[in-house]
This record gives sequence, structure tokens and C-alpha cells, in this order.
Amino acid sequence: MLTEKEKEKYDRQMMIYGFGEEGQEKLKKAKVFIAGAGGLGSPVSIYLAAAGIGTLRIADHDKVELSNLNRQILHYEENLGGRKIDSAAAKLHKLNPDIKIETIADTITEANASRLVGDSDLIVDAMDNLPTRYILNQTAIAKGIPFFHGAVYAFEGRAMTVIPGKTACLNCLYHNVEVPKVKFPVIGVTPAVIGCIQATEVIKYLTGLGELLTNRILNYDALRMKFTEFIIKPDPDCEHCGKPPARRTK
Amino acid sequence: MSVTIEIPSVFGRYSDNKLSFEVEAQTVGEALHELGKQSPGLKQLLLDKEGNLMHSYDVYINEESAYPETMTKPVKDGDKLNIVMIIYGG
Repeated sequence: MLTEKEKEKYDRQMMIYGFGEEGQEKLKKAKVFIAGAGGLGSPVSIYLAAAGIGTLRIADHDKVELSNLNRQILHYEENLGGRKIDSAAAKLHKLNPDIKIETIADTITEANASRLVGDSDLIVDAMDNLPTRYILNQTAIAKGIPFFHGAVYAFEGRAMTVIPGKTACLNCLYHNVEVPKVKFPVIGVTPAVIGCIQATEVIKYLTGLGELLTNRILNYDALRMKFTEFIIKPDPDCEHCGKPPARRTK
Repeated sequence: MSVTIEIPSVFGRYSDNKLSFEVEAQTVGEALHELGKQSPGLKQLLLDKEGNLMHSYDVYINEESAYPETMTKPVKDGDKLNIVMIIYGG
């Protein structure tokens, strides 16, 4: 049940056709795992907090550095040297004291990913490296929960939503490719756009509204100011979501 | 077969800011090699010493992935190829 305060706070979004109090209650009951409190994790968590997601479970092992501040808008100069999750939790609590913020300072690994995600309803991929993204993709598939991918480079970004068992996954898109992690160029407005798309997808999924960004990747080229979609088909031989070889019929 | 190749804006530094190319080709591989002739900077960026597409990139033909066996995928007159870089930043 929504409180009178919540009804007033979320009035404008509950006015959206198909959203209503029922949609708001779905957001309130939800627990969202956000992997990363950086460039993407900042806008994702800010907009999900503002929308009234009941529990945000945020994982990040990094500390705030000066070079983060051009894009990681949850963190300020006063937070330099501190843990990102502490900085994030403090801002998000001020933004919305009516939701629960859970923080995790551990590095996400293959061994602990399932435990860290816990009983979250879905995973938001706001990481800064491909290996951890693959781990989270596999964790989402193993748990049968959605995975909301986003990535950025300079003025370019992309996003895709994965519904395990139904749609193409991150590995259907990238087919086990490994690229070395290097310092990448980026300006804050790029993860702002992509993070907002990820947050939008989460809200749509939880409320059941609209059509999800599945079996296609949305590519954003800010210098052209152009969005392009590419079709991503589920790969039956995908090592993450395809059928195990012994169970393949052909 | 005349096909159009579009590259991301971030590749503009390797192609004198030209982002769209017309090439004559019958396969994706031929198209990429023709692209390399028009833009040596892109050839160096996209193709390895054996002339294969570097694994950090994907090619889409009319918005559909050319993977697997990307280089031998046939193309037809009027097709549009997009070269996409695998990105992981957050």
C-alpha cells in the first residue's frame, strides 16, 4: 500500500495511462541490483530512486577520484577518496528517504555474483569492463531475471534488455569476445543518456508498460545525434543462454 | 555490387571525418578491403595483418549481424553496412 506521502510524491507518474497506483506499488515492491555506481550507475540509480523503486542494491568497489567527476554525478569533490557506495547512498537517501538503499563494496566475481545479487528482481549492468558484464549476464540467466545492459565510449553508447529464456543475451551480442580493459574517453552526457534508457527499461519492465528493448541493440551516436537499432537474434549455440550441447536437437 | 558503409563518428579521426563510404563488393570482406583502400587509417584500425576484421568490431548488414563468418557474408547492390565497435565503458 502506498502512503499518502507517496501518493502525492508520485502523483505525476501515476497519472500516466496504464501506470496508476498499481504500477507505483510494483515499483515499491521491487528490488533492483545495480552493478556499478559510476557513469552509468549514477543516472540509473538517481532516476530509479526518484521513481520510487522500493530497494536499490548497489555494488561498487571503487573510491571516488577527481577524474570521475565529469560524469559520475552521484559524487562530489567533498567525496574524493571515499567509497563510491557511501557517497551514492548518502545522495540517494537525500533524494528519496522513503526507499531502501543497500550497498555492497565487494568486487563482483564469478564466485560471489549470485550471492551479491541475492533475491533482486533484476540486474542493471552499469559496469566498466566486459568480463564482469559477462559474469552478470550469466548470473541473470541462471536466476532467470532480466538484465539491462548499457555501455559507453566517448560520444557513443548503446543499450539492450535481456529477458532470459526469451531473448538474445549479452553473449549472443558479443559472442565471447574479450577486449583488453583500457582507460576510455567519455563525456558525462553520454552515460546520462544511456543510463536514462536503462532506467526507463527497468521501469517499463516492472510496470509492464510498453515494448522492451529486446532482441535489438540501440546504438546512440551523439556526434551525429542519431539512434540506430541493430537486430540481435538469440544464438542457439550461445555459451551463456543456448541449449547445452547434449540437449540440442540438431 | 555497390554498398554503403557507415562508420561510427568516433572513427572520424581515422578517415578525415568522412563517415559514409560507397564501395563495390560482393562480400563483407571485399567491402572492408575496398574501404581500406579509400581510407588507410580505417584499414589499420579495422583489419589485422592477415586482412581479417579485428575481433573488437562487428559488422551489420541492413541492421542484421553479419556474425559468424563475417568476412565471407555476401552483400548485394544497395546494402548498407554498419561497422560497430565493441564498447564496455560505464
